[in-house]
Amino acid sequence: MKLLSKYNRVTLVTTIVVMLFTGIIYYVAIKLILVEDIDKDLAVEEHEIFEYVRINHVLPQVFESEDQQIHFEEAAPGSVKRDYLDTLFRNFPSEHHGRHHRHEVFESGRGLISSVAVGNKYYRVLIVKSTVETEDLLTIIFGITAGVILLLLLVLFMTNRLLLNRLWQPFHNLLKELRSFNLSDPNAIPQPETNIDEFKELNQAVSAMSSRVKNDYKDLKTFTENASHELLTPIAVINSKLDTLLQTEHFSDQQSKLLNDLYSAVSRLTRLNQSLLLLVKIENRLLEGHKNINLATVIDDLVIQFEEIFNDKQLNVNVELGEKELDTNPYLTDVLLNNLFSNAIRHNYQGGKINIKLRANQLVIENTGDDIALKPEQVFKRFSKSSSSEGSGLGLTISKEICENLGFELLYTFKNGLHIFTISF
Amino acid sequence: MKLLIVEDEKGLRESIEEYFAEAGNICETASSFAEALAKVSLYRYDCILLDITLPGGNGIDILKTIKQKEYNDGILIISAKNSLDDRLEGLDLGADDYLVKPFHLSELRARVSAIIRRKSFNGSNILLFNEIAIDLLAKSIKVKDQAVKLTRKEYALLLYFVANKGKVVSKNAIAEHLWGDGIDMVNNFDFIYSHIKNLRKKLLEAGCNDYIHATYGMGYKFTEQ
Repeated sequence: MKLLSKYNRVTLVTTIVVMLFTGIIYYVAIKLILVEDIDKDLAVEEHEIFEYVRINHVLPQVFESEDQQIHFEEAAPGSVKRDYLDTLFRNFPSEHHGRHHRHEVFESGRGLISSVAVGNKYYRVLIVKSTVETEDLLTIIFGITAGVILLLLLVLFMTNRLLLNRLWQPFHNLLKELRSFNLSDPNAIPQPETNIDEFKELNQAVSAMSSRVKNDYKDLKTFTENASHELLTPIAVINSKLDTLLQTEHFSDQQSKLLNDLYSAVSRLTRLNQSLLLLVKIENRLLEGHKNINLATVIDDLVIQFEEIFNDKQLNVNVELGEKELDTNPYLTDVLLNNLFSNAIRHNYQGGKINIKLRANQLVIENTGDDIALKPEQVFKRFSKSSSSEGSGLGLTISKEICENLGFELLYTFKNGLHIFTISF
Repeated sequence: MKLLIVEDEKGLRESIEEYFAEAGNICETASSFAEALAKVSLYRYDCILLDITLPGGNGIDILKTIKQKEYNDGILIISAKNSLDDRLEGLDLGADDYLVKPFHLSELRARVSAIIRRKSFNGSNILLFNEIAIDLLAKSIKVKDQAVKLTRKEYALLLYFVANKGKVVSKNAIAEHLWGDGIDMVNNFDFIYSHIKNLRKKLLEAGCNDYIHATYGMGYKFTEQ
């Protein structure tokens, strides 16, 4: 649920409840005041009757009126108790009011039961006043109140919406920056302008956190770089010692096999180390510079360079090259193509197939291999490789990094037994 | 030839020294910046193998000193730093070549030979080895004055062998020299055998002596014996 709707829900519900409550109180209070007013009128009327009876010793004549009726009724002496009551007011609207026939209309009314003695007769007196006007008044008051409530709610809703959106703008800006946060991006997260303390604090916390994370990441990369660097010297020594050992000659078959194994292990170690260093450099954007290269020529050269290796595996290599010029880093492009070619060869089988297609907007390298699709999310992960692979497990990671670095897109798909790597420029 | 090996890592320095030590070669070594600077200002060498990271200073400064004094020594930088910038800086400052650690000694030797050949050009660009004459500019060879047609890789292979004559060169070193980085895609180097076989056949057919010998399945040796 959005903060705004949550906030709206709470404020609107509270407002409605409070308004309803005050509305009820308001209604009851007004009603009480008005009823008291009518009761006073009734009492005045009663008093007038008493006065009339006291002076004239007869019951006053009763006139029918729009809003007041008086009834006299003989009753047993002392049987009537003075009381106010809510009752009905029977109205007989005049002909022109009631259109065609005389029609009795009941309205709400307020009555006073009292008693008066005229001579030795005892009368029950009922004075009833119509409260229609009071009700009308109440309705108008209620209507106005309800209207005000609705207006208030609407205004509240709108202002909340506008205000909150405006208030939260720095938050949304920061969120956008966080989403596009890139660990290897050297720039700090820009702090959105705000004069609200909470957001200022949030900004500070985020920027402190990001710089800490970046520092840790940098340390880690520096460590990888340093470790790989430090490894180079001992590897160089091992390599040179092996070359020296080779010169001593007179080896048995067993010894020469051991030496061969050592050689290949050392060269794997060397390549692994170089790959790690290269990866760090690419991630650190340390390889800059670009020039215009003709991709078709580069691929052609590479195919010639690898000819013997293709032949060794009896690979059927199919090259379709369109013209494509790129303004990019030649060294990285070289590494990228080298890696993808290596990959296509290494995971191929004897007598397999490689298709290389260069089009205006993409380069596709397809190869036969294991007849199982690789998991696309695993393919470019570091050291994710088949157990039989002699590679470093970094080739495709490096390729992916290079593509990101050069602004290309590298995708893996599997179709008709072909592993397909597509670079989109 | 007279060499100066500037390298602080003892194991590596000794291996290089041993690999280059043979009749007619003089190898001197320096293990620190000060020692290297002292030797460089006193003696002249055909080629200086210069490590960049040295105790007491940066090898680049030694390179600058040599170039400032306009000495004509060949300079091969051997560095653990494999960045384009370092490479370009070294070459811009006048180094003749740049080799990244780790390397095969046979590769180092081929590079040193190439530098020395360039330095002692003497108006001739023909490299002679008994009956084989290698034209370094035309990248062609003649055996007993008969042209032998070699492929680009066979030519490079022959040059590599000649530079490392008398040494056992491992299959790995040959493969890396000829195929560069791409070579890590193959699991064994048996396919270079056919290359060597072809080269050998062409040389033998031209009436050349058989100089290429396989050694224990590990590598090859180019030798007169």
